[in-house]
Amino acid sequence: MKNGINKKAVVAMSGGVDSSVAAALLKRSGFDVAGVFIKFWKDGKSAENSCCSVESEKMARLVAKKIGIPFYVINAEKEFKKKVVDYFLSEYKKGNTPNPCVVCNKEIKFGILIEKALKMGADYIATGHYARISSLSLRGRSEATDEAIQSYRLPRRPYRIFDLRAPRNDIYFKLHKGKDKEKDQSYFLWQLRQNQLKHVLFPVGNYTKPEVRELAEKFDLPSAETPESQEVCFVQNSTNEFLKKYLKTKPGKIIELKDVRHPAGRRTSPKAFGQHQGLHFYTIGQRKGLEIPQGPWYVVAKDFKNNNLIVSKDEKDLMQKELIAKNVNWISGKELKLPIKIEVKIRYRSNLADAVLYSKYTLNSAGAKIRVYKIVFDKPQKAVTSGQSVVFYKGKELLGGGVIFYRVKRV
Amino acid sequence: MKRIYLDYAATTPVDPRVSKTMEPFLSENFGNTMSLHSFGQEAKIVLEESREKLAGVINANPNEIIFTSSATESNNLALKGSALASKKGHIIISSIEHHCVVESAKWLAKNGFEITEISVDKFGKVNPEDIKKAITEKTILVSVIHASNEIGTIQPITEIGKICKEKNVLFHTDASQSFGKILIDVKKMNIDLLTASSHKIYGPKGAGLLYIREGINIAPLLHGGGQENGLRSSTVNVGAIAGFAAAAEIYKKEGKKENQKLIKLRDKLIKELLKIKGSHLNGDPKKRLPNNVNVRFDFVEGESLVIQLDMHGIACSTGSACSSATLEPSHVLLATGLKPEQAHGSLRITLGRWTTEKDINYLLKVLPKIVKKIREISPFK
Repeated sequence: MKNGINKKAVVAMSGGVDSSVAAALLKRSGFDVAGVFIKFWKDGKSAENSCCSVESEKMARLVAKKIGIPFYVINAEKEFKKKVVDYFLSEYKKGNTPNPCVVCNKEIKFGILIEKALKMGADYIATGHYARISSLSLRGRSEATDEAIQSYRLPRRPYRIFDLRAPRNDIYFKLHKGKDKEKDQSYFLWQLRQNQLKHVLFPVGNYTKPEVRELAEKFDLPSAETPESQEVCFVQNSTNEFLKKYLKTKPGKIIELKDVRHPAGRRTSPKAFGQHQGLHFYTIGQRKGLEIPQGPWYVVAKDFKNNNLIVSKDEKDLMQKELIAKNVNWISGKELKLPIKIEVKIRYRSNLADAVLYSKYTLNSAGAKIRVYKIVFDKPQKAVTSGQSVVFYKGKELLGGGVIFYRVKRV
Repeated sequence: MKRIYLDYAATTPVDPRVSKTMEPFLSENFGNTMSLHSFGQEAKIVLEESREKLAGVINANPNEIIFTSSATESNNLALKGSALASKKGHIIISSIEHHCVVESAKWLAKNGFEITEISVDKFGKVNPEDIKKAITEKTILVSVIHASNEIGTIQPITEIGKICKEKNVLFHTDASQSFGKILIDVKKMNIDLLTASSHKIYGPKGAGLLYIREGINIAPLLHGGGQENGLRSSTVNVGAIAGFAAAAEIYKKEGKKENQKLIKLRDKLIKELLKIKGSHLNGDPKKRLPNNVNVRFDFVEGESLVIQLDMHGIACSTGSACSSATLEPSHVLLATGLKPEQAHGSLRITLGRWTTEKDINYLLKVLPKIVKKIREISPFK
């Protein structure tokens, strides 16, 4: 705390290029910076005390040394297993396709880690996410509005990290997409709350990935050339192998959709024309790996009650007009006036779709009235998958999001 | 930033006088102790002189000292070596042993030996009567740590040794933290096997010893050239051993005065830290190592304390350095009856040769503020 800014930031360093550059930018902006590496749980650890991510830890430590900041390793294996991995498995068990990164951000990176960072004496926690935060005064005078995000653009020299958002109670924070449209990771951050956002910095949010790589080279960071991370971080090989290991999977019948939707409600026993390996292994919209003749076939539904995989040749059968979302979080902390016209993303890699968001009451399995949200698309959307996040946007701003509960009304 | 080292129980810097002793062993006196020529002979002489010096520290005969690479190796050799020599049987350890004893015992349990763990009181002390009761006809070995690496409690090993002698059972003590620092007489204390380490007493890393009372039969773990009486094959690390001996000699000369200084600083530190609201001392208030302070603060995690102190240039730890990478609460603190969250809230501060009153004052200036700040954030959700 011997520099101009007099603020301390803890950077979650994974050993990758994004968080490395985040740490370097903060340091160059005059923050008092410390790096932490969080040890996550990983499947198939060979021996006790040996960690999956020895290489990443080593890289993060090297980068910290290069930048000249203290570096600490925090072990969150237990919490990660409980909050992220167990959730992941239980969702698959229920027939959903979860987003573990969303939960990890909420519970680990911006949960446990914020708490630990504050206890380490930090004012902020920073990560290498491609997203942006702005602040807004509730006392009428706007301190930094949407337009001002543009002015956050870091000048080439000196490296400055936007405004110093004082963690004050009369200011609220907005979450925005990252500058890089391709890399934008705001989708995974919809569960953040105001009391988390006020402690968060995204130093690379105002850069594109190529710019970040350029900076890494310029700063001579050893992680400049680390590859993009892929897949779910805690599985050893593939998600399917992981699921096979931890879930009981039962092979069953593959059935054509038109046989299930029998006219006049007559129930005939539907014709099986293939075998599936266990419903958990299939995703809505999947085309490859079905191993049935005269394709292409699409997975359009999973019937867990009868252990049937429902397929169709018609891509239209994948289209949905609406969906129901639950566990909705509003970034502002307050629900917006409904109904509202928004843009939604139903998967990390899906395009934005225009839609209207309504509030709706429904009955839960116990017969109690619960409030959910209905999203009606302007144009039908393909392969809406339960368990995935549906994230609400208005322009560049992320308003909130929820978890896709079930799909309603086929076209 | 000036850095203050207060983690002498984890390891110590090599005393400059010790480094000086060690200098010739890299390129001048580099011989292999097993060689017949003059180079070998010179090395052998240093080895045997060192053995003599170190034996003298604990009133042992030189031929009762086996050099190893570390205290972990010595403890492994003591437990596994005596177990393997008798093929089967029962072994008693305390619940506050170092990991290398605990894990060796676990391995033996997996391999057909019976293990009993003796619990301790709230100060971490073993009741010798409990050991007496636990000894059966099958018991071959009792192993109790002399002084706890975590909470500093000194065990009544003379009494335990006496019981073992009466019952005709081997008695091993891990004296890694106490060797050189506290007076040990293996004969008076009825010790059959004793582990000591060089890097805890301002000697180099890579040298340890196991005292094995004459006439005791233990099986080697390393087989090969037959060094160290066939009990520890491997080319002998003469330089490190010479350093180990030099370090012990310094202690012999200066230990008394050094302990007086450490006790004074320790007691001041404890007294002042206990003035912080919601603070407690772990371990025995009186029977503890001269350099050990272990305290806990309600609602404060030790990990946060260690990191914040590090940011202020002060190095200490939550407990054993070997387990600081895991999230498990210290088994030693749990054994003293603490709840896991209390164990997580503990801070170990260990003083040493170069600790000054100024260092302690700086710590006392910084730590209470950190505790207060962490408590303010504590209910964060």
